[in-house]
Amino acid sequence: MKKFNLMFVAAASMAALAACSSGDEEASGGSGAEGSADVDEITAWAWDPAFNIAALENAKEAYNGDGDYEVNVIENAQDDIIQKLNTGLSSGTTNGMPNIVLIEDYRAQSFLQAYPDAFHPLTDVINAEDFADYKIATTSFDGEQYGLPFDSGVAALYVRTDYLEEAGYSVEDVTDITWQEYIEIGKDVKEATGKNMLTLDPNDLAQVRMMIQTNGSWYVEEDGSTPNIAGNETLEAGFETYKEMMEADIAKIVSDWSQFVGAFNSGDVASVPTGNWITPSVKQAADQSGNWAVVPMPRLDMEGAVNASNLGGSSWYVLNVDGKEQAADFLLNTFGSNPDLYQTLVEDIGALGTYSPAAEGDAYAVEDEFFGGQQLITDLSTWTDEIPAVNYGLHTYAIEDILVTGMQDYLNGAELDTVLENVQGQAEAQLK
Amino acid sequence: MSQLGTKKAEVDLPVRTKYEESRRQKTGVFFKKKVGWLFIIVSVIAITIFNFYPMVQAFLLSFQSGMGANLEYVGLDNWRRLFGDPTFIAALTNTTIYLLIQVPLMIVLALFFSVLLNDPKLKFKSFFRIAIFLPCVTSLVAYSVVFKYLFGIDGIVNQFLLNFGLIPQTINFLADPFWAKVVIILAITWRWTGYNMIFYLAALQNVDKSIYEAARIDGASSFQQFFQITVPMLKPIILFTSITSTIGTLQIFDEIVNITNGGPGNATISISQYIYNLSFEYTPDFGYASTVSYVIVILVVILSIIQFRVAGEKK
Repeated sequence: MKKFNLMFVAAASMAALAACSSGDEEASGGSGAEGSADVDEITAWAWDPAFNIAALENAKEAYNGDGDYEVNVIENAQDDIIQKLNTGLSSGTTNGMPNIVLIEDYRAQSFLQAYPDAFHPLTDVINAEDFADYKIATTSFDGEQYGLPFDSGVAALYVRTDYLEEAGYSVEDVTDITWQEYIEIGKDVKEATGKNMLTLDPNDLAQVRMMIQTNGSWYVEEDGSTPNIAGNETLEAGFETYKEMMEADIAKIVSDWSQFVGAFNSGDVASVPTGNWITPSVKQAADQSGNWAVVPMPRLDMEGAVNASNLGGSSWYVLNVDGKEQAADFLLNTFGSNPDLYQTLVEDIGALGTYSPAAEGDAYAVEDEFFGGQQLITDLSTWTDEIPAVNYGLHTYAIEDILVTGMQDYLNGAELDTVLENVQGQAEAQLK
Repeated sequence: MSQLGTKKAEVDLPVRTKYEESRRQKTGVFFKKKVGWLFIIVSVIAITIFNFYPMVQAFLLSFQSGMGANLEYVGLDNWRRLFGDPTFIAALTNTTIYLLIQVPLMIVLALFFSVLLNDPKLKFKSFFRIAIFLPCVTSLVAYSVVFKYLFGIDGIVNQFLLNFGLIPQTINFLADPFWAKVVIILAITWRWTGYNMIFYLAALQNVDKSIYEAARIDGASSFQQFFQITVPMLKPIILFTSITSTIGTLQIFDEIVNITNGGPGNATISISQYIYNLSFEYTPDFGYASTVSYVIVILVVILSIIQFRVAGEKK
């Protein structure tokens, strides 16, 4: 009797084990299955309820195709999305994966290359020429268009007109300038008002990233993977400018987002050079209405550099799972071809897309009282078209982590050439 | 458990027939073993599936490399890469520094507090015990964020030091490689000292009071009592807490990510954070990430062996 029990337990547990493994096979075998047009619900993942999620909800309203399915919008933190995608896609199972997912442009290439068959190409679905060039470069891979470009990260210089005036400058004086001119103005502003010109976070090289993109350069070469640090003249200029700003004592040092926002909301700094998504945060300080203007990003003082750059921004991707046709259909009939949607996005949530035909809409021409009646959206979308296209490649954040250490050394007096060569060596060693 | 069960059965059966006796002799050992296995078979299977299987897979993974799903076997390349990887070396160094400074500091503090709080003459004993243990119930992320703000450039610590004239100007604790490490160590110590103290308190309750009494009659001072009686009596617990603390510190992640995010530069990055970065922050290389994970395994094994040896435990 006892023996029988023992064997029974053993057999039962073997069965359980077998069930587990066969379950796995089924799941992975089911991935990438063709067809099944009868999917009646698709899922979309994005982060930031006030921005991307709101954009998706607007898109659901604006959908003008004839597909019959539900779109299930799920909010996840960006870090969680990255983790879930990585673990899910690398394990080979597509169970629980969404149909549509938002991916930050700096990370797009690494996903596209790390999981070659995981994404559904949209080459035949959308018209790439309708979107800003620089967005296309980051969202395509191997001749296929994978991403549907979403928000513009067009960078701009937000300036306090009252502080500038006090120092004897007008808005024209800060329009289309170089970083060197910016630093000189910054010194005068500090002398006249006692306010710092900008905030800098030594742990975040966003400032340098924006600078080098004005000259069409990046941390990696065209191939997207070879580190382009040592001997990269644009990056050298970026580092030098950064150090000049530190040494000119025109920067308030911050160490996180809340200090960054706090600095300009409380009127501690005279300008904010950053992505246009900062607009809502700038407007939080309602008492400063009318004292702000937005001008193009300063450029590096180099041949070929332009007064336009980018910071952040993300795009929509369709995963290669059941329901991909529906997902592509949804994107096409919303973000892909619907200029009216973009008007609502601008009006309701201040989200600036990169869909060029939308720029002719009325909402883009609205004059913004907070910025002294400036046609902010029109200006931003004009600058968006001028952003030099670069291949962000695979290693933006990995290289930046190494560069941050290099920047510390450089600020502490190390030779720039040596610093950059060190970073290059480390990056090459790490990014095999 | 199974042994207890059979013992009880023996007591319940006062009269045994000869037949039963002989049957027991024939099958006793095997029978007992089988029943024993029966009791633990569920956990054995569960542990095999959820612990050992992933461990073996991770070990195999540590010999592979590649982006995301494109993994291929690269032999010992990952291990070679480790020793030339400055970020890994920085992470290892930082973790070692945390370990060498924080664990002894915390163990000594916990021991000190527990002896103080064990004093029978102490008033408001439970208040103090709760006060010191309370940090343990806070969430790792929540307390990390609080520490971040305490030590911020406009934080209360800077204000306090400035107002009392202890420093000439504010210190940017989190942007300075040295002070950032100090903040991390302070934070972990605050969070975990009470936890270890509870173990010592519990152990101290079990130390026979008559030993102290005898020592006092022999004229031993408080210090002598502490070092000659308390510490030796607590030795197994000290060993246990130092091993668990060592393992905990080797795996430190939440505090670093939330207080400094590894910065400035790589001045506070820990091994676990580097594993996270390799898997999720950068273009994922799960192969190399699991090689780095196995470094932690190896370190834990080595350090535990050393601790056993030092504490004189002979298996």
